Amino acid sequence: MIRSRPLLAIAPAAVPLAVALAVAPLVRAGGPPGPVAALGGVAVALYAIALGAPLAGALPWALGLLGLEYVVSLEVRAAPLDEGAPAYAAAFFLCAELGWLALEARRGGRPWPGRAAAIGAVALGGAALGALLLAASAVPFAGGPAVTGLGVAAAVAVAASLAWLGRRAA
Amino acid sequence: MPGGGPDAARAVTTWTTTASGRLPAYLALGGAGLLAGLLLGRPEPVILAAPLLLAAAAGLALAHAPDVDVVVRLDRERALEGEEVELEVTVSARRPVAWLDLEVRLPAGLAERRRSDDGPASLRAGATRAYRRQLACRRWGGRLVGHVTMRARDPLGFFTYRDETRQLLPLRVYPRPEAVRRMLRPAETQAFAGNEVSRLKGDGIEFADIRPFEAGDRVRRINWRASARRGQLHVNEMRPERNSDVVLFLDTFTDLVDPAGTSLEMTVRAAAALVDGYLRRRDRVGLVGFGGTLRWLRPAMGERQLYRLVDALIDTQVVVSYAWKGLEVIPPRTLPPKSLVIALTPLLDERSLGALLDLRARGYDLSVIELSPLAFVHPGRRETERLAYRLWVMEREALRGRFLSMGVPVVTWRRGEPLEPALSVASRFRRDARLVRT
Repeated sequence: MIRSRPLLAIAPAAVPLAVALAVAPLVRAGGPPGPVAALGGVAVALYAIALGAPLAGALPWALGLLGLEYVVSLEVRAAPLDEGAPAYAAAFFLCAELGWLALEARRGGRPWPGRAAAIGAVALGGAALGALLLAASAVPFAGGPAVTGLGVAAAVAVAASLAWLGRRAA
Repeated sequence: MPGGGPDAARAVTTWTTTASGRLPAYLALGGAGLLAGLLLGRPEPVILAAPLLLAAAAGLALAHAPDVDVVVRLDRERALEGEEVELEVTVSARRPVAWLDLEVRLPAGLAERRRSDDGPASLRAGATRAYRRQLACRRWGGRLVGHVTMRARDPLGFFTYRDETRQLLPLRVYPRPEAVRRMLRPAETQAFAGNEVSRLKGDGIEFADIRPFEAGDRVRRINWRASARRGQLHVNEMRPERNSDVVLFLDTFTDLVDPAGTSLEMTVRAAAALVDGYLRRRDRVGLVGFGGTLRWLRPAMGERQLYRLVDALIDTQVVVSYAWKGLEVIPPRTLPPKSLVIALTPLLDERSLGALLDLRARGYDLSVIELSPLAFVHPGRRETERLAYRLWVMEREALRGRFLSMGVPVVTWRRGEPLEPALSVASRFRRDARLVRT
């Protein structure tokens, strides 16, 4: 395989993005660093180790911790709806993809233009979907067991759709 | 579009699919996001999970094994050692392929030189792409080329598809012959016209002798000067140009191997040079591969014989056998009378030594080119090892003396040296021996 300089730059670009994702909830919270900052620190460290070692198994955990940090920061400060959530989600997805690309680059793989375009499209689509969800959440609506049941059904439908697609792909 | 042909092969593809670790990670993170959203009653975890689940869904929806036709083609079936041949793998896609790369597995003796513009590519439905690889022929021999590994990926890179096709095409790499200008001259010639001046007298252009005129002699043959000087008609006698029969006797009982090469390799190189040289002189050349398996080619001349001989040479291999073999196993017409037999041997196996001595005893014009095994054997460090080595070298000297006493030149050809000096030594010995005999 032919390795080029841009490939070597993937990991250095991915780690700052992970740092930015870890810092963003702290900046929004504005309080003293606490467990949220610790979660973010561990997540970034794990992310850097996963890319540097390389250790593919550690990357999902690092991403999970980053996501957890974000959610915990919202819960800790009992924040209202976060309008920046779709943008954060798109950046989170890009951070995940850059991490995987960096790992593939270490094994000699290189991204191709079609894949980069597909990643960009999914990031934009995910952000748009997030914005829709956010808009739906902003609608004043009385909750209850029926609505929760509807949410559970939607989650199950998503899982079932993915399972069906997975079976088809196999 | 790719077409078939004698040097092309079409492959049937069966793909093996491997999922990337990303897919389960995205599904797990996405599922965790959905669950957290339900438990916390907040949309943000679901929004965070949305791109991951969308990517997983898109990846699964777009994933399908490539549907391609593969045609493997070589630009030629024969090449000389050191030359390059081009292997072309043409891939025609029936459905779009996001990323496709090829890896050619080559047999020993061939090396791939990949061009920088021949990397992975995407193919649209109906598109055809030719992947070209230059194969450097490093070592002579018969090869089968066309073991291709294809790797393809889906647009989001969640799945890797792998397929190995074995559409094997024959590639014969001939040894690059050594430049030999002067060949060993046979003691006797045959009846057909050739480049060798016969020792017999007859119609020809080479002056041989003068003798008194006899009834029936052609008038144009009269040597008027000699006739005037001697007062009697004399005629010139000439020597005709004839061809000769040459049989190469390859001892394939043993092969000495070290990292720099093998004795069999030396045998084949020398034989290729001799075949080329003698066939250029319009001699008839035959071959006897005397070893675990017996191979032979009756003497013949011309371009076809050259290819037959070289094909036989590159298929030469050592087959281990403990069966005793003598000259009786060689078909009689393979060794015509009056032929020059050139043996290429490391003088190690008793069976080939016996056969060579037997050949000489039957009156064949024999010359031995000894492929020196000394380069392959180390004297050792201990005193006893060095003593054994010296004894072995002395035994070999005695063996050479035995051949020389029978009028057979034994010349040593060492690895890395040109063949011509060894042939010159043999020619000188044969000329001197002839003078002694006459």
